[in-house]
Amino acid sequence: MSSIPENLKYTREHEWALFDEEGLTCTCGITDHAQEMLTDIVFVELPEKGIEVKKGERLAVVESVKAVSDVYAPVSGEVIEVNSRLEDSPELLNSDPYGDGWICKLSVKNASEADELMDARAYEAHVAAGD
Amino acid sequence: MGNRTPLYDAHTALGGRMVDFAGWELPVMYSSIVEEHHAVRNAAGVFDVSHMGEIEIAGKGAKALLEKLLPTRLAKLAPGKSMYSCFCNEAGGVIDDLFVYMKSEHEYFLVVNASTAEKDLAWIHTWNTFGATVRDVSATTAKIDLQGPRSKEIVLSIINEKIISELPRFCFAELKYEGDAMIVSQSGYTGEYGFELYLPASKTSSLWKKILEAGKPLGLLPCGLGARDTLRLEAAYSLYGHELDEATTPVEAGIGWVISSEKEYIGKAVIEKQKRDGAPRETICFECLDKGIARERCDVVRKGKKIGITTSGTFSPTLKKSIGMARVASGVISIGDEIGIEVRGKALKSRVVPRPFLPYRG
Repeated sequence: MSSIPENLKYTREHEWALFDEEGLTCTCGITDHAQEMLTDIVFVELPEKGIEVKKGERLAVVESVKAVSDVYAPVSGEVIEVNSRLEDSPELLNSDPYGDGWICKLSVKNASEADELMDARAYEAHVAAGD
Repeated sequence: MGNRTPLYDAHTALGGRMVDFAGWELPVMYSSIVEEHHAVRNAAGVFDVSHMGEIEIAGKGAKALLEKLLPTRLAKLAPGKSMYSCFCNEAGGVIDDLFVYMKSEHEYFLVVNASTAEKDLAWIHTWNTFGATVRDVSATTAKIDLQGPRSKEIVLSIINEKIISELPRFCFAELKYEGDAMIVSQSGYTGEYGFELYLPASKTSSLWKKILEAGKPLGLLPCGLGARDTLRLEAAYSLYGHELDEATTPVEAGIGWVISSEKEYIGKAVIEKQKRDGAPRETICFECLDKGIARERCDVVRKGKKIGITTSGTFSPTLKKSIGMARVASGVISIGDEIGIEVRGKALKSRVVPRPFLPYRG
């Protein structure tokens, strides 16, 4: 069973988002389940700092040995920070998906979009259903 | 549901991630493509490739039929020897690539790709005006590949026959396994020393289990199609549907060395001319200098102009960089030249390198 921390919000496409207390910014990445499915991540194409993304748009690209996967923005906003460590150490996505393997931080445009994300329990059911 | 090999349950029990491959349900990996890849390079790995097609061609007309079908000199063979070759159409395009095993003067055993087996059989029948007996034995024949530097001791611990340790590359022995006929061939698709084992489908589970047991203490891992692909690409072995297809000749695919027959084989006029005078396209190997992974079917550019397309591309676990092969216009680039591989709208800076990426290490 993969790890699903209680304090995060989740998308159906297996991204996680951690909101600050005010809900103004969020850190995002891919879930433990996502990294288990991908395995052997060898390259991450990070978004550029300063770009605006809409919820559901491509935010980053993760490449495992076998396949390419898009990472989608969990909410709309501006990319305010990227985890440039991933450029040289993409394997952090496998070893620590919720920690050192974070992908980027977004400034949150519509607070209401956060409410549309799943909580840990809903995401656990989503994973169990095999989606 | 796709076709299943006799080892389907064994794969799922080992945690294999099953995918569809040419209509077959096969494991793409068990734990990690990278770990399985390194196991083959450093110790040993075992692959279920029972999906592959096997065809027997026998009788007095067998030799003449093969001479019609193959651009490779049949005289390269002797009983107990095998060779790589291909079927070409009249235009020189590759219908399939295959291995031919010569069992005796009138008995040959062909190993073909799963996705092309039916097409191959139809092609063989079309040209069989020589009265050869052609038999598709794919359904009853299983194939297990045992590859890597430790594979000899593993196979010897199961089948204690001295001849196995003395087999030169591309030579095989017809032995018995639990009373049934088995072919042990010193060959493979990984660039490592190893064996390809053919046996009746009913005995596959027993052999698979014995190999896992004997190999485990030596570092052997069961390996999926993912590692099979990264290993073959490092060795720059062609894969049908990628480097090879009906619109590509062996010369263009970079396997012009298979063309050696003096007989009147199909496609001869085109491919002999190409071998002599050059072909419109050629196949090159490249490595990426920029970070990123080039996959198959990406445009290859040189000085802003498209010159071809990638046929395979992956991350090389041994070289720890992105490598691939591409089919490009002939004579435009040479080894050492810089090219761009278009990935998601950006050109990854890459360099043409010698073939193969990794020399054979057997």
